[in-house]
Formats: sequence, structure tokens, C-alpha cells
Amino acid sequence: MRSLDADASASLAPRRLRLAQHIYAEGLVLVALVGWWAMARTLPPYLFPDIAEVFRAMVQLVGDPAFAIHTAASMSRIVVSIGVAMLIGGALAVLGRYVPALHDFIHQRLKPVLNSFPSLGWALFGSIWFGVSSFAVIFIQVAILLPFTLINISEGLREIGAEEQEMARSFTRARRRVFALVVLPMLYPYLIAALRISYGVAWKISLVSELFGARTGLGYLLMDAQTKGRIDIVFAICLLIVVFYVAGDKLIIEPLSRLYRARG
Amino acid sequence: MRSFNRVTALPPPADLMAIGPNPDAAPGRSVRSGIWLTHILSLLFLLIWGAAASVLPDYLLPGPISVLRLAASLLTSPLFLWDAFCSVWHIAASIALALVVGMALALTVHFVPATRIAINGRLNPFLSSFSTIGWIFLSVIWFGLNDFSVIFVVAVTLLPFALSNLRTGLEQLDKETVEMARSFGHRKTRLVGLVIMPLMVPYIFATLRICLGVAWKVMLTAELFGGTSGLGHLISRARAEFDTPAIFSVILIIVVFVYASDKFVLEPMQMRLRRNYALA
Repeated sequence: MRSLDADASASLAPRRLRLAQHIYAEGLVLVALVGWWAMARTLPPYLFPDIAEVFRAMVQLVGDPAFAIHTAASMSRIVVSIGVAMLIGGALAVLGRYVPALHDFIHQRLKPVLNSFPSLGWALFGSIWFGVSSFAVIFIQVAILLPFTLINISEGLREIGAEEQEMARSFTRARRRVFALVVLPMLYPYLIAALRISYGVAWKISLVSELFGARTGLGYLLMDAQTKGRIDIVFAICLLIVVFYVAGDKLIIEPLSRLYRARG
Repeated sequence: MRSFNRVTALPPPADLMAIGPNPDAAPGRSVRSGIWLTHILSLLFLLIWGAAASVLPDYLLPGPISVLRLAASLLTSPLFLWDAFCSVWHIAASIALALVVGMALALTVHFVPATRIAINGRLNPFLSSFSTIGWIFLSVIWFGLNDFSVIFVVAVTLLPFALSNLRTGLEQLDKETVEMARSFGHRKTRLVGLVIMPLMVPYIFATLRICLGVAWKVMLTAELFGGTSGLGHLISRARAEFDTPAIFSVILIIVVFVYASDKFVLEPMQMRLRRNYALA
């Protein structure tokens, strides 16, 4: 009986901590909402819209078919850009790893330049070269995402030591089998990391591309709302972007990373 | 960057924490031919650029030589140097702000476990998914066009990066050292000041390096929309005049400056720190 009691009190402490954590967490959200409400009361509406107004703008946006088109445009561009950036970054990483002569060019020339290139630079070049088009936006986003995918995938490939490969090769000489059964599973966490980072950066930073290179998309919509002085719409779009981001993270990225954990 | 803390099976990529041997070192064999190929490919790139520029008009693609010449003349112009100085000041201020706030939040999570979900599960995801452009437009409306707007935008963009990395650092601190220090005294301020902060130096430095990279990436956009000074503002003026060569030159200078400062100042410093802390 005593051991049971001990167990119970031991499990009570984490449970109490968990409860405290949730109280703090929801408390923070509550404080933020109250702070927002107080700010909106003291500041004029063109500086700080109140909660109801922003909520109304959000509902209006969600019900508006035009907004759905803008959202679909942004999302599809992000998906395509991430895919292309993963492919090119992956190809460059593979080249750098398995063609020793190319290693220095990729890691000491290409990577540093890509990594230190400001995203505004790509945004301007993309719009100068390709005008206002989805292609321009995708070009800009791929250029911004490329260093992140290249760095992460190279890191994964570096992790696969010569010994693992040699062992695999001693079992079979089919290179494709080695790649599918040894290289790919070991690389998977790094691919997911590359995907996660690209996803975050795409939403956060590369929406810049839509300010210059597009007449559709959420970035364009944000700029439009700002020039019209509709701060309630700016707020609403920003919050909706947070919702989209979290939804994509939970519905696509999380299951993908669990796939690996289930295997491992 | 919260990703790294969520998927615990994942080591952070080397560029985040720079663990192990120099990741950019070439893999032993055929280094010689690698060096030659590197130079040949770089040269080839310049040649292609030059050839394309000779066909295309200047406002689409200026040639490498004219860009280089313009960059050299920019570097001696006081107007440019003033804008560059403003940009450096914006970056320094915003990184300092992000590091201080990030550190305060990371330490709060460390010492008050009850705040863990509030900060790691609410604040950080919100900050890391809030679009930078959204911050730019909001800060322009709130604070107007000035230095503070730019610094605010860059700092709030950097904050989730700083917070996640500093938190990882705190989690990786040597538990026994901290435990021992705790057994000597109760005062948390002393523990933080005398033990945790010194132990955290390599992680703070790594965070600083990441923040610098991200800051240069987003700051120009912030200056273009929200600033009245800085290189982003300079680019905005050049853009209004369709002066593509000037945009190219400014970006060339930035790429060279960022690369050189990372490679020749920050990387050696980090290596040295890691050696001193026996982490390498």
C-alpha cells in the first residue's frame, strides 16, 4: 500500500506542474487579449483596432472568395518553392558529398554567397528579371530557401560515415539498394529539418517576394491593406497567417516527422 | 527554429551550433583538383555573367566590371558610408535587444518550469509564425518611419531564433557543474552571474552568429519600407530611379561584408571560444 501511495504522490507532482504550466499558458493568452483590449481603448482605431473589429475583418476575409484565391496562390507558391528548393539543395548537397572535386565550389563559393545574400536583393532581382508573375515569386522564394536546404541536407549527408556505407556495400553492390535502405533512412531527419526550416522561412521571410513580384497572394494583400490604411485588415491577415502556419505545421510537417520516429 | 527543440531526436545542424570538426573542410582526397575546379567554376560564372550583361541592357543586368567599379566608388562616398553606418547600428541594436529579451525568457523557463508552456508553447510559436512583413507594416503604422521601427522589426524577427537557441544552450549546460554551484549558495542572481552566464558564452556566441545572418537578410526589407536611413533605404532610392547597377553594387558590398565578417572575424572567434571551453 505504501508503495502505491508513494507512486500516487510522485505522479501528483508532475500533474500539479502540468496544471500550473497550463494556468500560466492560458493566463498569458488572457493577458495578451486584455492588453490588446486596453490598447485599443486608449489608442485611436487607425493605430490599434479593437478585437471585435479584427475578428469581424477575419470572418469577412475567410468568407470572401477573393481571399481564398489569394491564400491558395500564396500556399501553392510556397509548396512549389519548398519542393524546388529541396530538390536543388539536395542535388547540390549530393554533388558536394560524392564528387569531391566539387565540394569546395559548393561549400566555399556557392553556399556563402547564397547564405549572405539579402532576401530583398532576390526580391528586387526577381521582379526586375521576370516581371510580375508567379514565376518571379517562386524564383525569389527558391533563392531565399536554397541556403537553408543546402546546409541541412549536406549536414545529414556528412553524418553518414564511410563505415556505414562500407558495411552496406559489403552486403550488396546494388547502389540503389544502399541508397534506399541505408542513406535515405539516415538522411530522413535532416530532410525533415530542412523542410521545417524552409516552411518557417517561407511564411516568415519570403512573403516579401509577393510585395514586388505579384498581384496575388497574402503578401500583396497585406501591402494593399496597408496602403489603404486598413489596419484592421493588416491585423486580420497577420493572424490568419499564424493560423495557416500552425495548421500546416500540425497537419503536414508533424505527421511527416512522426513517420520517421515510427520507423526508427 | 523551434523545430529543433520539438524533434528531440535531431541534432541541430552544424551551422547552428558548429559542433565537431570544421564542417567546410574538404574531404581529404583530390583536394588539389578541387581547388582548381573551384576557381575555374567561379571564373566561368563571372564570364557567363559578363557575357549575359553584354547582351542585356544595364537596367536588367549590369556587367561584373561596371558593378565592381561602382561598388568601389560607393565605398568612398560619404553618403553611402553614412547609410552603411546606420545599417550597422540598426543591426547591432536589434541583435542586442533580441539577445537580452531572449535570454531573459530562456532563463525564466529554466528557473520557473511552470512558465514552460506559456513561453515555449504559446509565445515562441506565435513569434516564429508571425510574418516579418506583418511586423513591418504594423510598426510603420505604430512608430512611423524611423530607426526605431527598423530596430523593432528586426529584433522581433530575431527573437524566436534567439530564444530557441539560448534555450537549447541552457538545456545542454553541464548539469553537475550547475548542481554543485547550487549546493554552494541559494542566491539565483549569483548562480546566473557567476556560473550559468560564463558557461553559456559559447552558446550566446553561436546565437549571435545566427542572428547576424538572419538580421542582414531581413533588415534591408525593414529599412526599405520603414526606414529613413540605411542601405535598404539607399536601395529604395536606387529602385525609384531604376538604377539597377547601384542595387547590384550595394548587394555585392553586403554579400562581401557579411561573408568576410563571418569567415574572418566570427568563425575564428567561435573556434577559439570552443577550444577554451573544451567543446571542440
